[in-house]
Amino acid sequence: METIFWILSAITVLGALFAIMLRNLVHCVLSLILFFLGIAGHYFLLRADFLGAVQILIYVGAVAVLMLFAIMLTRHVTGDEGPREVLGGKWWAGMGTAIIIAGLLWAIIRKDQLAQILPAGGAQTSMVEIGKAMVTDWVVPFEAMAVLLTAALIGAVVIALEEVIRRR
Amino acid sequence: MGFIGKGLLDGMVVTARNFVGSYFDKERLVTVQYPEERVQTPENSRTFPFLVYDDNKNPVDTMRCVACKICETECPPQCIYIVMDRDEKGKPRQRPKVFDIDTSVCMQCQICVEVCPFDAIKMDNDYEKSRYGRFDELVEHLPDLLKSNEYYGRIKPTEATVVDAKLKAEKEKKAKKAAPAGAKPPTGSKS
Amino acid sequence: MAIPILFVLSVFLGIFAYTTLVERKALGRIQNRFGPNRVGRWGILQPIADGLKLLIKEDIVPRRADQFVHFLAPVIAVIPSILLFSVVPVGTRLVPVDLNIGILFAFAVSTVSVLALFMGGWASRNKFSLLGAMRAVAQVVSYEVPMVLAAVAVVMAVGSLSTLRIARAQSGGILNVTNWFVFRPWGFVGFVLFTIGAMAESARTPFDIPEAESEIIAGYHTEYSGFKFALFQMGEYLASIAMAGITVTMFLGGYNGPGSGPGWVGGLISMFWFFIKLAFMIVLNIWIRGTWPRVRVDQLLGFAWKVLLPMSIANIVAVGMWHYLTFRPLAWVATTLWLVLWFVTLSKLAATENVAPRTYRYAS
Ligand code: SF4
Ligand code: SF4
Repeated sequence: METIFWILSAITVLGALFAIMLRNLVHCVLSLILFFLGIAGHYFLLRADFLGAVQILIYVGAVAVLMLFAIMLTRHVTGDEGPREVLGGKWWAGMGTAIIIAGLLWAIIRKDQLAQILPAGGAQTSMVEIGKAMVTDWVVPFEAMAVLLTAALIGAVVIALEEVIRRR
Repeated sequence: MGFIGKGLLDGMVVTARNFVGSYFDKERLVTVQYPEERVQTPENSRTFPFLVYDDNKNPVDTMRCVACKICETECPPQCIYIVMDRDEKGKPRQRPKVFDIDTSVCMQCQICVEVCPFDAIKMDNDYEKSRYGRFDELVEHLPDLLKSNEYYGRIKPTEATVVDAKLKAEKEKKAKKAAPAGAKPPTGSKS
Repeated sequence: MAIPILFVLSVFLGIFAYTTLVERKALGRIQNRFGPNRVGRWGILQPIADGLKLLIKEDIVPRRADQFVHFLAPVIAVIPSILLFSVVPVGTRLVPVDLNIGILFAFAVSTVSVLALFMGGWASRNKFSLLGAMRAVAQVVSYEVPMVLAAVAVVMAVGSLSTLRIARAQSGGILNVTNWFVFRPWGFVGFVLFTIGAMAESARTPFDIPEAESEIIAGYHTEYSGFKFALFQMGEYLASIAMAGITVTMFLGGYNGPGSGPGWVGGLISMFWFFIKLAFMIVLNIWIRGTWPRVRVDQLLGFAWKVLLPMSIANIVAVGMWHYLTFRPLAWVATTLWLVLWFVTLSKLAATENVAPRTYRYAS
């Protein structure tokens, strides 16, 4: 288990690093997919089968594929736009964000009970429980997410419609 | 009654009928199993030219070609190459020493046949000319090109009879001409 | 666990090899030809000859291609297809892996295969490949939605994502047959939707837009030769066979049939039934391939979003009705009416898009 964890972690971190450091846009997305797969592997390792499968289905199957599709629809289909500055001028902003997130995560992992229970017990989170929790305890955030996504969808349609009308 | 997808289902019935039918109705299977069975090619089908000779015992001497090179000049893609045969003294022998046709270039247009004044070159209908190489193997030389008049008669009977009749008539005419010519000198000497 | 996996793998690879032969023979007969009949009697060794030929062929990689991605694509094309088989219950005693998220796993894995198509098409640096890749991505993303929703209907009815539980839920009834989900109104609609979706997902003929020979050469695998090409083909066929297996499990009663049961004998009989149904699905696929013409790109996407998607959502509602109307005859009438209503409405809506008769400008 331990070795698998480290291998998966290495894959995940490498995927994430490549995703921001590679020159070619498509290569970046492909490494991002590697990263997503690594995360899914971690879920499987934590016995969260459902989450793992959903991670692959949604992030690899939909999000990343849509990213690739979007890249293909632009003029930079080949993905290479010459040398790209990896960190750019705002590297300090990125560093700041990373430090803040790491601090937050560290605090959460140290303090929160949930984070301490799960990996040790190997508790099987079944999708029935997830489903029940979604429509009972967490129904408000769940619905809020739904509204948010619907709003985003309508917004996308409106933007697209404007273009269609203008073209006429 | 029409509903969405009816056309698709009708199509499936048609293909199913084809599928089952092909096992019972031999008429349906039009494929010819080539190396074992062959289609009878039509008499006038043509592939590449060959050179006709008259006597089976002596092909080289009785070939009709006189190396006049008309076909060589007329051939549109220039795929014929002829060298006249000469005896030791350099006198032309009226037959080719080299006669090559590059079958990778020949476009089977039959123009060489049309222009030949001696009916020496004719179109073959042998279509199995595949070779293992792309260059020299595809060039046909004199020995490959020589084929008998009987062979010609076999593959294109109608055409061959016409040609034979014509040649015979010409020969007789020549013989007739030759006969008076041969008989003339005495009469001429007489007068 | 290892033995069922080995068994299933070898059996399905064999099925793959002979599906190619059966397909070529059947397509030939449909077109009144013989099909392969040279290698062995009835061409029985043809798959081996094909495999050998592809193995010893030269492997060409375009100079401008993205070498690494170009190499990776065929590998990625095969892996998900093989993984798909791991959740297909072949018999009552033969289930490779019983995941409690079986169906979800299958979908998650099958979406990965689209990546292979994209990578292959993109890395070749060839406009036809790229077009093929774009088409593949658009098609798979669109058809996945109605397909998953069609599967959701079954999952709702069974109350589990496990393929084994789904198969078990269809046992019983008269001769172990009447409980198959195809023999329910929603199940029948779901079966049709799922079959269409599966066909589109594995780019089989009416939906072989990504590799439309007459338009874009061979689509995403234009630049592949030799064994890499074989891997692409293998991935495609294996995926369509696996999808056929999942369709059988979800709608055609899985391994259930007259005589199937938990014992050894019943287990063997259940395997027999599973393979019979699998063969049926494969033959159906081939038959459709031999019959229907390829759809156009816009028709393809329009069909997915305007017809299949509403229909699959209506189907989910139908399952809800079926669940709450416990008086069965009423449930039959209500769901049938509901689905027929939707079918007719959607047909009408699709029909309004009829184009006017074509006027020819130069030809008469
Ligand atoms: S084949 Fe005919 S045209 Fe050609 S060189 Fe011989 S005689 Fe002349
Ligand atoms: S058939 Fe035409 S192309 Fe061929 S040798 Fe004769 S003239 Fe040339």
